[in-house]
Amino acid sequence: MNYLPLQVIISLFVVIVVFRLTKKYKDKTFKFSEFFGWLIIWLIVLFVFWLPQTTSYLAIFLGVGRGVDLAVYLAVILIFYLIFRLYLKIDKQQKEITKIVRHIAVNETKDTQDRRSKTEDLRPKI
Amino acid sequence: MNCSAVSLWRDGVSKYLKYITAKANNMKVFIIIPCYNESANIAMVINNVKNYGTVVVVDDGSTDNSWQIAENQGIKVIKHLVNRGQGAALETGDNYAISQGADIVVHFDADGQHLPSEIPKLIQPIITNDADVVLGSRFLFLADTKENRIPFIKKWLILKPAIIFQNLLLRIKLTDAHNGFRALTKKALERIKITQDGMAHASEIIEQILKNNLRYIEVPVTIRYYEFGQGLFSGFKIIRDLLIGKINKD
Repeated sequence: MNYLPLQVIISLFVVIVVFRLTKKYKDKTFKFSEFFGWLIIWLIVLFVFWLPQTTSYLAIFLGVGRGVDLAVYLAVILIFYLIFRLYLKIDKQQKEITKIVRHIAVNETKDTQDRRSKTEDLRPKI
Repeated sequence: MNCSAVSLWRDGVSKYLKYITAKANNMKVFIIIPCYNESANIAMVINNVKNYGTVVVVDDGSTDNSWQIAENQGIKVIKHLVNRGQGAALETGDNYAISQGADIVVHFDADGQHLPSEIPKLIQPIITNDADVVLGSRFLFLADTKENRIPFIKKWLILKPAIIFQNLLLRIKLTDAHNGFRALTKKALERIKITQDGMAHASEIIEQILKNNLRYIEVPVTIRYYEFGQGLFSGFKIIRDLLIGKINKD
């Protein structure tokens, strides 16, 4: 029971987070799947902090030395995955921005052209 | 006998030339110049190019007065509100050209690297219906004169590896990669959609030429090197963009 202060702090934190989660779910800003996913994650956090030895069983089962090591590995994998997701998302948004910019650019040009309604000689002079 | 054969041949050639010129005169040629902060060169480039077709400058969110200078030359300027990259600017220009009924679109750099006098040579295979896409190549049968010489580092550290990479990846045999001087038919333009906003669009165009079974041809062109163009590391950025583009398709 060396962890007690930390366990209490984490528990309080998780309670606050879960409280906010339920509020968001009630406000319908979160779908049920989102709410449920986040709830599971935070419950796992709570579980791991109160029963840290369980991670050791899991670690031994997966062939990693200690439970803490496993947590670090998983965290790193998760972070890299999230960075990758973010990268793809940014790339997609960049493309969408380009589409918007292009749309505005071409439309504006057409507008000014309609106003002028100038007939140009479009043939090349070769 | 001999004389008549020659005259017959001459007759044929002149008829063919007349046919080509007539055809060329009926074709709408659009010259797309993507431009980002090129106030120093843009006026000169536009004026040199004007005689070869309808010039469309796509100002890619320049922070200088490039677009004003371009507009003062009496040509069409399309303005991107924010900088989106050369690929994005070209695609905008292409879209506009198609909407205006272009038959041939020529991509031309705003920094004066390309020679306007080579435009007829570039669109020739399209007019004679030998190709849908004509790619300029700086490595194809060019005399080793001082003007044609490519800076050593640029040639051996950037261009040659890029060409090898491109040819291996796309299983194609081209003599040049990332040459911005090219001509495309309307048919090709309708099929090729540039989604790479940055410099990777050059590889993307070649990829789409292959995918759509378009006929392509390489034509030797001169590239003048005023300064170092793209930096040494831009090659890696292009590779990264291409890989991400593969994963992230809409």
